[in-house]
Amino acid sequence: MAIDFTKTGVSGEQTFDSFGCNVWHVNPDTPDLVRPDIRFTRQVHDGADVLMPDGREVRFWSFSDPNATNADKDKPFPSPLIRVRQGQVVHTTLKSAKNTHTIHHHGMDPTTFNDGVGHLSFEVSGSYTYQWRPANAGTYFYHCHKNTVLHFEMGMYGPLIVDPPEGPGTLFTGGPRYDVEAIWVADDVDPVWHEYNHDAGLCGEDVALDRFSPRYFMISGVPAPRTLTDPRVIVRAKPRQKVLIRLINGAYSVLRVAFDLDATIVAVDGRGLGRAASPWSRPIPLPRGTSVDMTSAQRFDFLIDAPATPGTYGARLEFRDWGTGEIHAGGRGVAESRIIVA
Amino acid sequence: MNRRQFLTYGGAGAAVLSASEEAYAQATATRIDLSVEPADVELIDGRVVYQLLFYGAAQSEPRPVIRVTEGDLVTVTLRNNAPEPHAFAIPGAPGAEIAAIAPGGRGEVTFRAPRGGTYLYLDPLNAPAHRLLGLHGALISTPRDGHTPGGALTPFSAETLTPATRLLFDAMRDDPTARFVGDPWRPAREKIWLFAQIDPALCEQAELRRPIDGAAVQRTFAPRYFTINGLSGFDSSEAETVKPKGYVGQPLLIRNLNAGRNTHAPHIHGNHVLELSGVGADGSVVVRDNIIERDTWIMRALDRKDLILPFERPQDIPPGAWPPKEEPFPLRYAMHCHTEMSQTAGGGNYPQGLTTHWELLGPTRPTATS
Ligand SMILES: [Cu+2]
Ligand SMILES: [Cu+2]
Repeated sequence: MAIDFTKTGVSGEQTFDSFGCNVWHVNPDTPDLVRPDIRFTRQVHDGADVLMPDGREVRFWSFSDPNATNADKDKPFPSPLIRVRQGQVVHTTLKSAKNTHTIHHHGMDPTTFNDGVGHLSFEVSGSYTYQWRPANAGTYFYHCHKNTVLHFEMGMYGPLIVDPPEGPGTLFTGGPRYDVEAIWVADDVDPVWHEYNHDAGLCGEDVALDRFSPRYFMISGVPAPRTLTDPRVIVRAKPRQKVLIRLINGAYSVLRVAFDLDATIVAVDGRGLGRAASPWSRPIPLPRGTSVDMTSAQRFDFLIDAPATPGTYGARLEFRDWGTGEIHAGGRGVAESRIIVA
Repeated sequence: MNRRQFLTYGGAGAAVLSASEEAYAQATATRIDLSVEPADVELIDGRVVYQLLFYGAAQSEPRPVIRVTEGDLVTVTLRNNAPEPHAFAIPGAPGAEIAAIAPGGRGEVTFRAPRGGTYLYLDPLNAPAHRLLGLHGALISTPRDGHTPGGALTPFSAETLTPATRLLFDAMRDDPTARFVGDPWRPAREKIWLFAQIDPALCEQAELRRPIDGAAVQRTFAPRYFTINGLSGFDSSEAETVKPKGYVGQPLLIRNLNAGRNTHAPHIHGNHVLELSGVGADGSVVVRDNIIERDTWIMRALDRKDLILPFERPQDIPPGAWPPKEEPFPLRYAMHCHTEMSQTAGGGNYPQGLTTHWELLGPTRPTATS
């Protein structure tokens, strides 16, 4: 079936209305379709409550995997991992059911139609298959790009890892090897926002989406302080092993990151530092006790040598306000975890 | 005397006060005439706010881009047509300061244009209040000699170039072995993205001439509008002064400045950018020796960063789908701040905030010989 690009932001007339309020809603075929090496399906899942440490239940939306046989089939939050090899042609099929959504594979550079930005292409009311082929191994994420200010906060995101052809254990071809891997997604949660509906704030409505006052601070779906003990977050390594922490800032805070061990930032935003194609870059040391700031949506990959002597070593994420620079929630905006060497 | 301007949102364009059209002319003396003017500005959702803006002498557009050549003697004159004192400064340009000028008064300063790079001129009084009310603009200093030893042109002074910048600019050339096959960077391939934030409550405070305490503003500033070169949302996405365009192989320099208080997280789709420079503690331009490719970078208050948008073939399109046959050019890619509160205007209206996009016009340059 021929694709009518005039019914989308690609060739349709862009107006003030089509830009934000009355965005293109279609379910086209994928243009320039080629045979995929791997396929994923992501179904919009819009009702799961996460129990916070103070007893409050907060509603999250996410993408689930309807083909999964494990917990990913009905995953509340965060959405299930997409993990592929560099050079594979990937098809991600979004199923929206009610309301419209998109998937933007953040850090991927595909064509406009496959980039998931509604006002430049379209929002999906039924189903669409995004086509992409990652050229660079590294750490990414995927998220909904409709009313992003709200849908991203509601939890419509998941991690996306691209392994080099050698497979897991090597960060990128020619780059560092690792024995132990952790994928940490930092998030901050303003429970007031989690009461809104899908279209809140669109078309002239003032629902104060410029005010963000998070009260819960999470790593990979686990609220602090459980991040100190939850097996989904803490890292276990043997002495002298190489630990890779892939950190995605999914928060709207400036994240201040520090470890009790010497670390090295070996990749940023899915690009290995010092790799052959980038001779103008090099890894960045982060000595123990010093910190680095990550803004929303940045990804840093930290390589840590587990010491020879067993012990427990801390990791600290401070969630700082984008305006005042202060730690959120009167200083409570911190998520800590541990690297246990045994 | 009190010339109150009314700006229709979207009217803000690219006024340029050029000290020298010749990039590498002899050192010359240059004069820039500015004034501080009160203005009523209509925002993207129709709301009108009171701002204070710099204007050039014969210009109808606010916050003119000032262009100078490194080492030139530059004289800035400033007339204050606002009802309270105003001043002038350029962080990183030693001596470029005019002390407080009374309403109706005039001030003047002469200084040497700083090293090649991107600078922010502003009213430092009552910091950050006057800057946040609109009193800021971009100053571009063209290097006297910006070449790498390999002959590539850069936006920085040759003596500040690092090994990494030399490698990178030499890697943009018409040679199949180069990382960025295509044209070298050319000075005309440039966009200025000057970020700002507007809190209507602060605007009203100024309009009603209530006393403003800069330290209090630093704590309580609550922006509801987020602009690039004075525009936002639909307007900034379509403005030629904001939106980069080009073919694969036509690298472009983004001169990014943040005049606001809040930290932005600009994120670009379609290509990663290469971060070339930052700001030293004294405001000077710091040319990086570790050039990192990013899809998201950090822009704190008063940050200035120069970045290369390489206009390379988007790397994650399957080879069997490149160049696309069904999907038409131009490919269009968003740039937006990922601290998504900045994507709103007046508490909602996503995405009428700090966003634009860039256009990839085609897979090969029209003039390319192949
Ligand atoms: Cu994103
Ligand atoms: Cu995005």
